[in-house]
Amino acid sequence: MSTNSMSRMTPYMFLAPAAGFMIVGLLYPIGYMIYASFLDWNPSQLIGEADFIGLRNYTSLLGDESFRESLTVTLKFSSIVVVTEMLIGVGLALLLDRNIRGISVLRTIFILPMMIAPIVVGLMWRYMYHPSVGVFNRILKDWGFEPIPWLSDSGWALASIIIADIWQWTPFIFILALAALQSLPRSALEASRIDGASGWQQIIHIKLPLMLPVLIVTGLLRLIDSFKVLEVILVMTNGGPGLSTEIMSLRISRTASEFRELGVAAAMSNYLLLLLLTLTIIMFVYNKIIDAREASVRQAVEEG
Amino acid sequence: MFKWIHRAAVSVAALALSAGIATANPYAPYKGTTLVVNFPAHPHYHAVMKVLPQFTKETGIKVEVDLLQYLKMREKQTLELTKRKGDYDLIAYVVFSKADYVYADQLENLARYFMNPKLSDPNYDPDDLIDGYVKNIGVVGGKKGYLPGPLQSAYGIPYGSETSVLGYRKDILEKHNLKVPETYDELLDLVCEIPKLEPGMGGLASRAASGHQASHAFLLHLAPLGGRIFDDNWNPIVNNEAGLKAAKALKKIVDCGPEGAKTFAFAEAGNAFLQGKTALFLDTTIFASSVEDPRKSKVVGKVGWALHPEGVRRGSQTGGFGIAIPRNAQNKEAAFLLMQWLTSRHGDKLVALAGGNPSRYSTHADSDVNAKYPYMTTFGEALKYADPDWRPIIPVWGKINADLGTTLSKVLTEGLDPQEGLDGVAKRTRAIMEKAGYYSWQ
Repeated sequence: MSTNSMSRMTPYMFLAPAAGFMIVGLLYPIGYMIYASFLDWNPSQLIGEADFIGLRNYTSLLGDESFRESLTVTLKFSSIVVVTEMLIGVGLALLLDRNIRGISVLRTIFILPMMIAPIVVGLMWRYMYHPSVGVFNRILKDWGFEPIPWLSDSGWALASIIIADIWQWTPFIFILALAALQSLPRSALEASRIDGASGWQQIIHIKLPLMLPVLIVTGLLRLIDSFKVLEVILVMTNGGPGLSTEIMSLRISRTASEFRELGVAAAMSNYLLLLLLTLTIIMFVYNKIIDAREASVRQAVEEG
Repeated sequence: MFKWIHRAAVSVAALALSAGIATANPYAPYKGTTLVVNFPAHPHYHAVMKVLPQFTKETGIKVEVDLLQYLKMREKQTLELTKRKGDYDLIAYVVFSKADYVYADQLENLARYFMNPKLSDPNYDPDDLIDGYVKNIGVVGGKKGYLPGPLQSAYGIPYGSETSVLGYRKDILEKHNLKVPETYDELLDLVCEIPKLEPGMGGLASRAASGHQASHAFLLHLAPLGGRIFDDNWNPIVNNEAGLKAAKALKKIVDCGPEGAKTFAFAEAGNAFLQGKTALFLDTTIFASSVEDPRKSKVVGKVGWALHPEGVRRGSQTGGFGIAIPRNAQNKEAAFLLMQWLTSRHGDKLVALAGGNPSRYSTHADSDVNAKYPYMTTFGEALKYADPDWRPIIPVWGKINADLGTTLSKVLTEGLDPQEGLDGVAKRTRAIMEKAGYYSWQ
């Protein structure tokens, strides 16, 4: 081997171990899941004993009413929680991005819910929503209102799990938004202040646009996470009443363990993966377009 | 010379005698063996843990127990049984796992052990085991494959089996001069009468949460009201008149139940009764020990027990657990000896006295057991009506069960018409059965 080709190979040789780990650790399980989705496989069989059935798992899922209902619940749940959490989280960050006494204690208190184990969060909220001993209904009764069927009415049950999720995950948005705010260039803010911009104008024209890249990534992370939330809902409602709170991850878990259809569960996971991948690509492309537009504006300004 | 012969004869006789004694102990070849068993965290198996040291003392066989929550136990077993060499020598299984495990050929046929004279205890008395449970949990064969009949085989022995009984508040019924319901009509009248007579108190504490819980509650009423999930040819008949009656009965019970009854799982329904929030309780026998435990219950001494009310027939729940030897176990013969000892008259009584659910008629009638647990005679009577075909034990039941449970939850919480709901279940069940090949010969 000539010295020239050796030196051309060197970077690949250095990359090889990392690539190997990546293939074994990341691509192998995904490949396994994709392969499993083409099988009629129950957990009492070894994977080699399962029958290959092609795309039947995917096509039968499209005609499955429960799956479609679960997909609708998931989309509803995720869109509401992500939008609300973004609004409250960024709002809180804008409010608390200042030097007042005890602010660090306040910030720590705000991020506490995020640190609690999901099972505990589920149990806590389940007891708070309890029809007779739960704190919410007791307060409502004390104030002379009718108690609310938090978890026993299909409309309220979805609202109840959304409230619990917002409570737990708004701090995540808050903490990232706060970090983004604190790393903003002070010069731009000072310049705007000298130009006479009001607090609102600063937020809308300076802070939010500059924070946008971080907010997009934060929103995306939250979105992906909200599609996968399982434990809190499992403990609070187990998907009920009816299928009103059965989000996709819960449906997948039940399909694998209760219905013993590993192939169908894998196909569902792949649908979820495709959905998330599409959302991620849309976000990515949107980001690229914004960047490109900014670059062209900058160029036009520089040329002008 | 004569002395020498005498001494030799005595030694030979002594040797023969000691060898005779050694063969008279069937446990001797397995002394020192350590068995690994997988049991659920369940009141019956907590009682079993208390008697296992006695087994080791009597036989010299040691037992290590892997105790798991019962649904987790099922998941672990599913993986464990597919291994070439398993870690478990004996497992307890949930009744509906019988279909999955036998279908996958993962359990030992018990005939080869009961036919082995070195292992099989002639005093075992299988006739004394509760009939309904043996049929339901232990045996496969017959026309539908999951119940006894021609060509049947036994793969497990019921252990920790439960049936449904009616618990009632003696004080409340006496106060209002009410009679303990014996029929379904009387029961359904009473459940809505109680909240009127005792404001703030619900009629009957029932499971109702979406999924398995609602389905279980429905099945409790389906059998006595004359219904079944399938007819003899696997056609779904859950939406017939009896099915509709059962769904309406469940709805009435939940509507007249305590606050929040629409989402009760077993624990919450039980808790409502223990906290004095309902006058009636209709579910498994295993609950009785909690009622008399002052740490958990506010109704100690106030509860009486009666048979599951009769509809067009008697038909109480068959459920709970059985024990079986996995095909991939490593100490199968010693595991059989443990299985036989636990379910023998002797072992069954010891476990009953420790707070477990006996599997034999004789234990239910035993005077020592009754002195400690006075409700045992009623439970023994209830067991005679335990319906072995209470639910279909087939591999696709998990999926049908979940669909039935979520649909019934919609009936209970979203006002879905019961007939429309059950028609939907029957239609989807037919599709599931079709896919699983049940109509291949039609």
